[in-house]
Amino acid sequence: MDHHDRPEQGPACSVDLSHRVRRHCPVGRGPEAVVVDPGRRRAYVACSRSDAVVALDLDRGVAVWTAPVGREPIPVILDLPTRRLFTADARSDTVTVLDADTGSRLTQIPVGAYPAGLGHHPGLRRVYAGNPADGTVPAIAADRLVVVGTVPAELGAGSIAVDTRRDRGYSANFMAGSGTVFDADALTPLGTVAVREGPCKVVPDPAAGLLYGASSLHGTIGRVSLEDGTVLDELPVERAPVGMCVDPSGGRLYVCNRGAGTVSVLDTRAGRETHRITVGNAPGDCALDPATGTLLVSNAGSGTVSFVDRPWLPGPAQPAVHPLVGRSLPGFALPDLRGGRIRTSREWAEKKYVINFFASW
Amino acid sequence: MINVWENTDPRQEAENFAAVWGLGGTVLLDRTGEYAARLGIRGVPTNVLVDGRGIVRAVGGTTPDELHAAVRELLADD
Repeated sequence: MDHHDRPEQGPACSVDLSHRVRRHCPVGRGPEAVVVDPGRRRAYVACSRSDAVVALDLDRGVAVWTAPVGREPIPVILDLPTRRLFTADARSDTVTVLDADTGSRLTQIPVGAYPAGLGHHPGLRRVYAGNPADGTVPAIAADRLVVVGTVPAELGAGSIAVDTRRDRGYSANFMAGSGTVFDADALTPLGTVAVREGPCKVVPDPAAGLLYGASSLHGTIGRVSLEDGTVLDELPVERAPVGMCVDPSGGRLYVCNRGAGTVSVLDTRAGRETHRITVGNAPGDCALDPATGTLLVSNAGSGTVSFVDRPWLPGPAQPAVHPLVGRSLPGFALPDLRGGRIRTSREWAEKKYVINFFASW
Repeated sequence: MINVWENTDPRQEAENFAAVWGLGGTVLLDRTGEYAARLGIRGVPTNVLVDGRGIVRAVGGTTPDELHAAVRELLADD
């Protein structure tokens, strides 16, 4: 018997019962949001600091095209009937519309001050933009590509969620610390929903009748009834949750923790976090590929999109405390913002202090 | 405070941010993200608490309650 005939040691086969981060795909600077086009096997990524939208081949993980848009595109959505991409260019005060197949620019629509979020109602043929700086939500006709009305919301209106079953929209008003409910057809405000301080993302699950709201300040996800606006409960996640997506069954919610470089996976029926997935630096948002179940995460700090296979399964246990705790702080020598002088950690010797790592976005 | 992962024009972006939010304290620029990587920082915001002997006592703690508790503990400890 030669070695080819020799039985293998151990079990004849094994089943991998953990998630796997298959790749971190470089896409551009500051990728803030991703949307999946399962039919064309593509993902589209808004790269805020490249002022571009990038199309990725979902299966090969390579860029197909890069389209320049306005300054600082943050969200991106896909209107399947027209195969148009919409992105909100925060620093240009516009929404740019692209042909999803070629990346060619169709138009650029002025919408108001610092648009940072987009919502979509395919049935009503509407796209809604959230303007944090003036607290408004302009609505764009997805076919005619013109603004057809504006909903007054409150300061910080950024993320927009649309309940397509009830024809209602929701804006998360970050600075006002509120949530506005509006009629997605008539474009009139209907009231408010109670949210915690620092609401920065809202995502609907119309089938389950739930609205999820992320409070980046408190590290929690609130669950609100879409039927009557009642706050049902609040689930803790990791630091600074800013992006979310829900799986097609409504059974799992994936939450991007900007402050931790992780995705929290929540079992929505049990109402608890089941595990965390380590992704790239400062993840901004995520989307699921319904064909494969792969989770795509846009990492604004790393300039990458992480592809996570079987994200619903736990992975390696994470350390309970950060490995740096209990060790000497590595020394630094960094330029001061004001004047450029190099400051070193020796200046703070024998002092107790807090270093806050931050980014402007 | 240490600014990191700014991608484009860190000085200008950090300056604008400091002006908008009224940050008057020391702001340093980690332009390449190298120092954050050495510390294993993976997200923003992240707080690192250091005691008088230069030992890291906590990493994380960004909610108001967590940060207040961690600072109280740091100040109380000798």
